[in-house]
Amino acid sequence: MSQVFHEIEKKIISSLKNKPNQTSESLEKSTKLSSDQIRRGIEWLKLKNLAIVKESTTSVICLGKNGLESLEKELPERRLLNLLKNKPKKLSDLQKELGFVFGPAMGLARKNNWVEISSDKISLKNSPSSLPGEKTLKFIGNNKLSADKIDQNDLSLLLKRPDFITEEITKIKEISLTESAKSTVLSDSSGAIDVEAKVPEIFVARTHPLKDTLDEIREIFVTLGFSEIIGNMTQSSFWNFDALFTPQDHPARELQDTFYLDAIKSKKFASSEQIRTVSESHKKNWRYNWDINEAKKTVLRTHTTCVTIKHLAEKKPDEARIFSLGRVFRNEKVSYKHLVEFNQIEGIVVGKDANLRNLMGIQREFYKRIGITKIKFWPTFFPYTEPSLQTMVYNERLGKWIELFGMGIFRPEVTKPLGITKPVLAWGGGIERIAMLKYGLDDVREFYNNNLNWLRSVSKCQ
Amino acid sequence: MPVVELSYTRLQKLIGKVSKKQISDSLPFLGLDIESENKDLVRVEYSPNRPDYSTDFGIALGLQGLLGIKTGAIKLAIKRSKKYPISVNSSVSKIRPFVTGIIAKNGKIDDSMIKQFMTMQEDLHFGIGRKRKKSSIGIHDLDKISFPLLYTTTNKNYEFIPLNSEKPISISEIMTNTDLGKEYGSILGHSSMVPIILDSNQQTVSFPPIINAAVTTVTSKTKNLFVEVTGINKEDAEDMLSVVATILQKAGFVLESVHITGSKNSTPKLEQKKISVTSKLINQTLGLNLKTSKIISSLKKSRLDASSKGKQILCTIPAYRFDIFGPMDLVEETALGYGIQNLEPMLTPSQTIGQINPISLELKSLSQIMIGIGFLEALNSSLTSKRVLYEMTNRNSEKIISVLDSKSQEHTILRDSILPGLLENLSKNIHESYPQKTFEIGTVFTLNDSVSEKTNFSGISAHQDANFTEIKSVLQSALKTGFGLQIDTKTTTHPSFEDGRCATILQNGKPIGIIGEIDSKIIENYKVRVPVVGFEISLSESILKSI
Repeated sequence: MSQVFHEIEKKIISSLKNKPNQTSESLEKSTKLSSDQIRRGIEWLKLKNLAIVKESTTSVICLGKNGLESLEKELPERRLLNLLKNKPKKLSDLQKELGFVFGPAMGLARKNNWVEISSDKISLKNSPSSLPGEKTLKFIGNNKLSADKIDQNDLSLLLKRPDFITEEITKIKEISLTESAKSTVLSDSSGAIDVEAKVPEIFVARTHPLKDTLDEIREIFVTLGFSEIIGNMTQSSFWNFDALFTPQDHPARELQDTFYLDAIKSKKFASSEQIRTVSESHKKNWRYNWDINEAKKTVLRTHTTCVTIKHLAEKKPDEARIFSLGRVFRNEKVSYKHLVEFNQIEGIVVGKDANLRNLMGIQREFYKRIGITKIKFWPTFFPYTEPSLQTMVYNERLGKWIELFGMGIFRPEVTKPLGITKPVLAWGGGIERIAMLKYGLDDVREFYNNNLNWLRSVSKCQ
Repeated sequence: MPVVELSYTRLQKLIGKVSKKQISDSLPFLGLDIESENKDLVRVEYSPNRPDYSTDFGIALGLQGLLGIKTGAIKLAIKRSKKYPISVNSSVSKIRPFVTGIIAKNGKIDDSMIKQFMTMQEDLHFGIGRKRKKSSIGIHDLDKISFPLLYTTTNKNYEFIPLNSEKPISISEIMTNTDLGKEYGSILGHSSMVPIILDSNQQTVSFPPIINAAVTTVTSKTKNLFVEVTGINKEDAEDMLSVVATILQKAGFVLESVHITGSKNSTPKLEQKKISVTSKLINQTLGLNLKTSKIISSLKKSRLDASSKGKQILCTIPAYRFDIFGPMDLVEETALGYGIQNLEPMLTPSQTIGQINPISLELKSLSQIMIGIGFLEALNSSLTSKRVLYEMTNRNSEKIISVLDSKSQEHTILRDSILPGLLENLSKNIHESYPQKTFEIGTVFTLNDSVSEKTNFSGISAHQDANFTEIKSVLQSALKTGFGLQIDTKTTTHPSFEDGRCATILQNGKPIGIIGEIDSKIIENYKVRVPVVGFEISLSESILKSI
């Protein structure tokens, strides 16, 4: 199978076939590609295991500041000897002419017996034709040379002198082909590209996974003949509790379970007739002094049932299928299992023939449509329904039965005071729990973390 | 939901011939959820409306019925007696007016029975006793008490030796220094007098609803019991007593009455009540076609008595089943006795045509448009914190809406804006690749005379080149495509936005929201290193057509 290569890759490979071990700069020259193209091409070939990049270091020698000055004006000691060529000179004159380098030049000249000092005059004793280091200075000149090409003795003398020689260490990257690359055949198939190569990722904009679940559930109930109603999240205690036959001293109404809004009383939340009949039902059945002030307290709804019961009390339909879907609140410690705010669906069927088996049938159909077939019903208790059941569904991944929707028939103590005469089947439950099963999540908080890593990776169709 | 721990071996002894599997299979159909199992022990959750299930004795009575081992109502055999008089002093009437009680003799008490009684007492106090406020219970060793008793009041300097103490302590010390006193003392209000039960030797029996005297403590050597219930309502106190009496009888005690007189108090009758129901209501409600005889046998399995009388089925309900209010409760009792597992779900065709709420549809369309523009949908809580809503964004917190006593510091304030949540999300995603573009449509809350709810729509874009023009283009296109709406922008200032890069959004000259480049100091607050632009508008009735 002949591999498909990008044009850049082809040029680099053929250049390296001709001349192994090249630097990027030499590849640039031989392929006439830009440095950026070469860099990318080498990266691709490295990923494919076709190129090897070896890094090595070499040191080069060049003249330093004083070395370059000497190259131009001769070595200081040579300049001294030149000044003395014709006649001896005064020390002060030489100092004036040579400046800073007089000291080192004089030192060398005396040490090597090139000059003689008598009273205040300095005169030439003998003048060698070639001075130590002179040859090497000219050899290096303005070039950068590898140290091994230079006379080591001479170089060591120059190295001892300040700023005559500098040493530069440079890194060299040499690119060569791997064995498999050497045998690759560069096909000429025109227009072919590397279809096997990795491509960049696109982060798709999408609806929130929990919204998808909400929409899915909404659609299912609509196809089962239910119409959606919406209502407020802030409610009077009257509709959230009293109208649903929950006594005012019931533990569920305490601050530790329910969110009450600080110092906000509900106004005109129900008709005086509704307040009278509901309070009478409480007084008669629960035997306590019902207090209107308790009913006025504004709560964050603990269930969406308050929306449906309000709707029923207002419309008093003889026949209806209605549902409500939205956020509800519980004063809980947030954990992997519990949120303070979550979504709930709540639905009702009103009709003279509505019965418990119908209610169970709707549940079974709903679960079937979200892919849950192993279900059973257990009795349970809710203050506002009688009889009351809960569904248990079997989850294969967790290997256990999980409690999902609760259901029941509204108690006469709920319906009668509000003038509702036909039986009302009701059910409801949390959506996050279903969504957790759907997305295989073990921590319910993930739905509200807005963690882009999760939102960008979770698949939409599950 | 309260939880009770049961032993299969003990249950088997109490029920009769039954296997462990039969018990564990039947528990859920009595309304008891199995929470956990460990060899012989099983923990079950029971509904607070069935306080008789707070002990294995009560659960055994229920299982006997469901399994058909013993059916029909449990009758209390109470020997009427005047040997145990209790008189009530009228001084209690303003504090805790009622006392009731019963004598239970010749029982064999062991440690596990004491444990069951203790959980029963706790659960009764918590549930129907409403944390002892409505009614509370005291169980005493009868042989340590000499009758007649007096239910009266005393002052707070009065001293006696309470349970778990070795020396006498004063009432005021009990109220201020003991756990029980601190927890329940407030029930007695600010009165200088407190209720007390004294025996004929002036010995203290109980200081209700706080604590018993040490001398009457029940141990495994106790044979005979005296149970007293005090409360603010006679019927509620007798309801609680009926549960205890039923349990004690099942536990093997012989019941004998006390004789109560004075200040509107009287001897408890613990009578059965009668309610009738028709087969029609039962069959219609359950969707069944059961014969009367089947209904009667089902009711009996639920430990009630029933007989047919013309078209009516007359039911006899023991006193401890005060959760039964009327005929509809008998429908449920029939269903339970019949067996919920025997009810076949039935799907009947709908007579109505379903419809998605038009507002939901409009909001869904808007989110589809935002996705088309390349924005990811976010979801944040409506109940958030002062830090997120105001402190991080410099917004004005004058009209803050807070909830009382939240258990979570991150959830204390109802949001009046969506944008702060989206900005907060950025800070949690600083290691994810950019551009990050998100939007959210959700409810916001405003405080005027009362709380009102509106739907807001907000979006942000964060990346190296984010700028005002980009975000205005996004909003302009979204509203044009979504609602055929034209908007204008007019220079303004806002604490969350950069000066000179912020505008009011106008629809027909009316402000509907805010748009601009987020203030660089705020971006720094979130530790975000790229520019951020955003907008928020209110989707009022002038935009959404369905409101």
